[in-house]
Amino acid sequence: MTTPLSLSGLDLPRRNGELAFDAPWQSTVFALAAAVIENGFGGDPEPFRQQLIRAIAAEPGRPYWESWTAALEELVP
Amino acid sequence: MSNSDHHTAPMSPVEQRVAALEALLTERGLVPEGFIEEITRRYETEIGPMNGAKVVARAWADPEYKLRLLADGTAAIAELGFGGPEGDHLVVVENTAAVHNVIVCTLCSCYPWPVLGLPPAWYKDPPYWPRWAARCPRRWRSGYGTPPPRSATSSCPSARRARRA
Repeated sequence: MTTPLSLSGLDLPRRNGELAFDAPWQSTVFALAAAVIENGFGGDPEPFRQQLIRAIAAEPGRPYWESWTAALEELVP
Repeated sequence: MSNSDHHTAPMSPVEQRVAALEALLTERGLVPEGFIEEITRRYETEIGPMNGAKVVARAWADPEYKLRLLADGTAAIAELGFGGPEGDHLVVVENTAAVHNVIVCTLCSCYPWPVLGLPPAWYKDPPYWPRWAARCPRRWRSGYGTPPPRSATSSCPSARRARRA
């Protein structure tokens, strides 16, 4: 197995084991968060995770990747 | 990768926001060339429930391994090379005829990523959250296609508590 990415554990939707990206922007924003964690926070996923928790709590019915986008916007003003 | 390369229709508001983020982060030097394609490929091909399936299969075939797995999930799973972030405090519970286990995360962001990969979408659905599960576990589980035996009790280990144990 390759070295686990520090993005691990963040809640990424899958359907039957497959990554659940419905559109290119979703995989893009997923990878952008990974890039920020890896290259902006030294591999620490916690700041993004906390933003994501807040974003989901703020609008529980919002589509998941839109909450993800909002979390990233908050993290990178 | 740029979302704008192949678009002919106007971008939706969220697509515009993501494109703005991509431009900003690239400008700040945080997104190396090819990074988006590479990370997407890795998550699609190398990380997933196939790893947990190997652990379960080993437990089926090796009773001594199964004992170790139930006694110390983290250590037994590490024997197969899986671990690391979100896999450093793994607790394994076994479904039996008498007990079926339900795993939830009370903050909706914990999942045993090294062995199950990325959570399915329904794991994130508000109806899945613990109050719902605790209120009517039998009906709820039946709704996900896994009705427990009539004789079973329900147990709801918290993914977050397990992770932080």
